[in-house]
Amino acid sequence: MEETGQRRIDPVGIAIAGVLAALALIIILDTNALTLTSVYGVGPKAMPYVVAVGLGVLAIGNLVNALTGGMPAGEELNYQAIVRILGGLAALIAVIGFGGGFIIGTALLFAMTSAAFGRKAFHIDLLIGLGLATVVFLVFSKLLSLTLPSGPLEHLF
Amino acid sequence: MSRFRKLVSGTIAAGLFAVMATSASAQLSELKIIAPAAPGGGWDQTARSLQQAMVAAGVAKGVQVVNVLGAGGTVGLAQLINSKGDGNQLMVNGFVMVGAILLNKAPVTLDQTTPIARLTEEMEVVVVPADSPIKNAKDLAAAIKTDVSKVTFAGGSAGGVDHILAAQIVKASGGDPAKVNYIPFSGGGESLAAILGGKVTAGISGYGEYEGQIKSGKLRALGVSTEKRRSDVDVPTLKEQGLDVVVTNWRSVVAAPGLSDADKKKLSDAVEKTVKSDAWKEILKQKGWDDAYMPADDFAKFLKTEQARVTDVMKAIGLVKS
Amino acid sequence: MEAFGSLIHGLSIAAQPMNLMYAFIGVMLGTAVGVLPGIGPALTVALLLPVTFKLDPAGSLIMFAGIYYGGMYGGSTTAILINTPGESASLATALEGHKMAKAGRGGPALATSAIGSFVAGTLATLGIVFLAPWLVKIAIQFGPEDYFALMCVAFVTVSATFGDSPVRGLTSLFIGLMLGLVGIDTLTGQARLTFGIPELLDGIEVTTLAVGLFAIGEALYIASRPAHLADTIEPVRGSLWMTKEDWKRSWKPWLRGTAFGFPIGALPAGGAEIPTFLSYSTEKRLCKYPKEFGHGAIEGVAGPEAANNASAAGTLVPLLTLGLPTSATAAMMLAGFQQYGLNPGPLLFAERPDLVWGLIASLFIANFMLIVLNLPLVGLWVKLLSIPQPWLYGGILVFATMGTIAANPSVVELIQLVVFGLMGFLMRRYDFPVAPVVIGLILGPIAEAQLRRALSISLGDPMVLLQSPLSATLLVIALLALAAPFVLRGLDKMKSTED
Repeated sequence: MEETGQRRIDPVGIAIAGVLAALALIIILDTNALTLTSVYGVGPKAMPYVVAVGLGVLAIGNLVNALTGGMPAGEELNYQAIVRILGGLAALIAVIGFGGGFIIGTALLFAMTSAAFGRKAFHIDLLIGLGLATVVFLVFSKLLSLTLPSGPLEHLF
Repeated sequence: MSRFRKLVSGTIAAGLFAVMATSASAQLSELKIIAPAAPGGGWDQTARSLQQAMVAAGVAKGVQVVNVLGAGGTVGLAQLINSKGDGNQLMVNGFVMVGAILLNKAPVTLDQTTPIARLTEEMEVVVVPADSPIKNAKDLAAAIKTDVSKVTFAGGSAGGVDHILAAQIVKASGGDPAKVNYIPFSGGGESLAAILGGKVTAGISGYGEYEGQIKSGKLRALGVSTEKRRSDVDVPTLKEQGLDVVVTNWRSVVAAPGLSDADKKKLSDAVEKTVKSDAWKEILKQKGWDDAYMPADDFAKFLKTEQARVTDVMKAIGLVKS
Repeated sequence: MEAFGSLIHGLSIAAQPMNLMYAFIGVMLGTAVGVLPGIGPALTVALLLPVTFKLDPAGSLIMFAGIYYGGMYGGSTTAILINTPGESASLATALEGHKMAKAGRGGPALATSAIGSFVAGTLATLGIVFLAPWLVKIAIQFGPEDYFALMCVAFVTVSATFGDSPVRGLTSLFIGLMLGLVGIDTLTGQARLTFGIPELLDGIEVTTLAVGLFAIGEALYIASRPAHLADTIEPVRGSLWMTKEDWKRSWKPWLRGTAFGFPIGALPAGGAEIPTFLSYSTEKRLCKYPKEFGHGAIEGVAGPEAANNASAAGTLVPLLTLGLPTSATAAMMLAGFQQYGLNPGPLLFAERPDLVWGLIASLFIANFMLIVLNLPLVGLWVKLLSIPQPWLYGGILVFATMGTIAANPSVVELIQLVVFGLMGFLMRRYDFPVAPVVIGLILGPIAEAQLRRALSISLGDPMVLLQSPLSATLLVIALLALAAPFVLRGLDKMKSTED
């Protein structure tokens, strides 16, 4: 994602074209592996081929755009913020995946997102997140009987 | 209108009580029932009814229903099999799962579970629009013999109970089951519209789904898929019309693998007590399900024969490679 | 006219104080659960149905109707306020609605959505009373080939969401079509693009994609731009309520939205998505201020919301006249009927008109209750946007993920959510429109399945598409709609050269 080339050749555009071509290839490979076809009418392979061809054509279209400088120049990126939000989501998934429960996972996500948006009070936000998640859990799980993943904290209630 | 007015009664307290009552049952999680499908579907309704009846019959104090969605129930099945030896779990399943396991080439099978009981069954019915030239199952069989490709069946998902029945009808009529022109629809409503609109030759579904249409005369029932005719349903069986096909959409409960004998007995006793309770009978009546209770050992044998049969049919249709 | 009398009678009962109370509780509960993205009205009703078990039929039906409308409005509220469409039907609402909210016009957006829903619901209810028997005869005649042609019409409207570049719009659409391939093929039961992951067999959930692309993608995008971090949303700019101008610009879209929503909703496989998109693209074309589209045009909220509500009422036509549950919500209504030992089916109207009209009257009352409850709350909802940005987006992500967690607590589903979030971020950064992806996911599989059903019935003969008069007409409309922009542009050029 470097901003080299100054409008002449756009590396991001070329990358996008590459991704689209790769997707088209994946679809074709996957579809070729299908064994059954319908006895009557059109089989399950037709639509994937149509989509693959479409993606292939669009890959070329995007490539042409990239070579002629059709893409807007990207602006400065705050990588740290993105990493923090993705980290928060990853933490949520990990906590739920390993049975840590809804409240802890959600509190982490809240605090990490808040930090990504520039707040520098992680511990306080974590407490706020715990409070928020607990209230949400109680309302939805107890009052409205939705099933939310349970961990050590949830079993206290 | 009078009935509507007469029934108007109750207080806000009743509403709030209802909220609190459901919350209380979610609080104690001694028994977990996995419903391997989304809320609202057949398995989910069975799980929630079982929960309701178990609490009402006093066999369990806290029962929790957990929906584990995905892949015809095989995601839920995998989860159950992972919790080896856990005597506090039940999972609702049924005929459709047998086919789904084969079709999805699932890495888990029902053989790995501990069968607890068969609970209910629903018979299938074959219908045609009221103005169809096909009057009975014999006409249908004749049409299939003439040209199997021109007899189109509308029903539920590919590899499900409707599909299996269609293939068996074709086979029993002397046609090639691999050539069955079966068109799966995503919902009962959509397939019913296709039948009423005369887009397909015949439709297959659970009897309950078409009951209203049959009684009102919009659909003609050619036959039901049970062994014997039911007293309260005025439709002949396929079997008595010369098509030797018996398929019912049964639902059951299974438990985790590797249970101790004590745990297995505890669970099957609890289920037995539940299905004999008035609460359960009331629910069956309300939902229009037939009682098909079968205790653990009988059910285990039954499950084996059903698995073998479904595998055969699916190979014949070509849904599974032989 | 007998029907009309029955409706009035039903209304008088549903309007009794006790029943109004039930409607009120239902609307509150429904809104509370319905705001969770991924939990649409059908799931809301399924989850809360047990709450109504203990009431008598009248109270239960009314609370049921309240939950249903609450669930539907909850989805629109989050679509407008935090760009998180709770269900696929409120996707079109998010497109303009959230832009309005960011521009300080969240109040009018919520108001036009609530009032538009009420207007559409009322008109559609009258439609059920007077048109149901006639409409259902046409609806039944719709075969797979006709649905396929209808999808073609819908596909043509997609371009309304493309933005400036056709290549990028089509790229987005085809990515959506590809996502639509994932899962079990409906007609042969084979897995496509699942790579051995069992959770993918059911395909990509529309709400997972929409929440990832819209809500999470936007949070990432905003956080990634250091220059814009300091921006705060001004919750109210101008009037909190709809101005005279807003009313003037809303009433026609309400009516047109109803005209799309009701008949398509009445089709057994019509659904709510197609009418909302048709309404969106129509409003975009007809709008006097086309420049505002994409930046918060009130017509783009008023029309789709009315269409959404009218199509929900439309599904009652086949349900009540034929016993056909044509949507997940309609199926839940049947479950509601079954509580009283009623056999759903064509005899329902004849055997139990009291309950049928009771239900229709309840929907009417619940819809009214929703307005009474929500219009005063608009100010409060909009104030939510003045929460400091770090907490606001923290809360948005919590809600966005919670919907997925509550609907289907699987790690695979959550990972999908994150992947789509990242995709939404990259698409925003490199200026690809996100809406066509979701539209491709919704329309692609339906179009494919209906075409293949049609061809299976005709034993592979494609002429079936032209032999059905309905299908042929719809295909011609699609072609005209496709050609119209080019023709108009040509005419414009001719005019300008003449000048």
